[in-house]
Amino acid sequence: MKNWKKVLLALIVLGAAAAGYGYYMYNKKPADIRTVAANFEISAAALVADYTKDETAANLKYLDKVIDVKGKVAEVKIDSTTGQATVILDSGDPMAAVTCSFYNDEAASIKMLAPGTEVVIKGKCTGKLMDVVLNKCSIAK
Amino acid sequence: MKKIILIATACILINSSFAQKIYFTRSGTISFKAGTALEDIDAVNKSATCVFDAASGNIQFLILVKGFEFKSALLMEHFNENYMESNKYPKAVFTGKITNLDKINFQKDGTYQATVKGTMDIHGVKKEMEAIGTIKVSGENVLINADFAVAMADYNIEIPSVVKDKIAKTAKITVNCNNTIKK
Repeated sequence: MKNWKKVLLALIVLGAAAAGYGYYMYNKKPADIRTVAANFEISAAALVADYTKDETAANLKYLDKVIDVKGKVAEVKIDSTTGQATVILDSGDPMAAVTCSFYNDEAASIKMLAPGTEVVIKGKCTGKLMDVVLNKCSIAK
Repeated sequence: MKKIILIATACILINSSFAQKIYFTRSGTISFKAGTALEDIDAVNKSATCVFDAASGNIQFLILVKGFEFKSALLMEHFNENYMESNKYPKAVFTGKITNLDKINFQKDGTYQATVKGTMDIHGVKKEMEAIGTIKVSGENVLINADFAVAMADYNIEIPSVVKDKIAKTAKITVNCNNTIKK
């Protein structure tokens, strides 16, 4: 094969690879947090305490990180219209708890959770409103 | 003396049972659509906080921007890093008042039209806005639904010219918050 033909072929292959990669990245779904190892293993009380002490510093530390949070179930809520499942964990602080918003298909796993049960929930930290909020939650195995 | 205390206690108890209450949820759903014919862009936040006082009509919606869930990881990254700058502005808050409170009876089941007026705080910019929605009372549950539009430019959200045909200039926001009485 003539040289320039080889170069052209190489360019086409590279181009196709780049396009393929671009297409893959573009369509890539966010990570399934259930399969990601936790960055932190911490109690609900400690997590809330860190946020109450210094929200900016806590955000630097925890925001977007995967956390295995351990605590007592204060409340289990399944929304009647959306099926959205949420577990509130007691932190010892009456003003702020840990709110855990579950993956839709994990709702069944939390229906049976009784208040007072000690659980470990894996989720992604999204910050603090009144409570520290984790989403993409599941019961940690 | 005992009689006075008894009567006073009875009065307080009767008063509090008729007093209007604070309604609240930590798992409200707020979603938005900002796509065009070229592209679907939608995201949902399932951990919105909504709190309102049935006596005064004061109402507040709060969300964490990082709590929006997208189907595409890339879109979520651009949304947080480029458009909303969520590390700088982690929350979006609406603080306002139900302006037609007198038309809504929280003691009586039913669906009521509601007008809300207040300040929307997104991306570090505060802007006055008004929206209409419905308030559905079923016993101790109050379901708030609303649909309204938010213009990106109003909140200094910049859409790069490269993607301006893919992203709508106005986002359609949908609110669905099921509130219960705060005990």
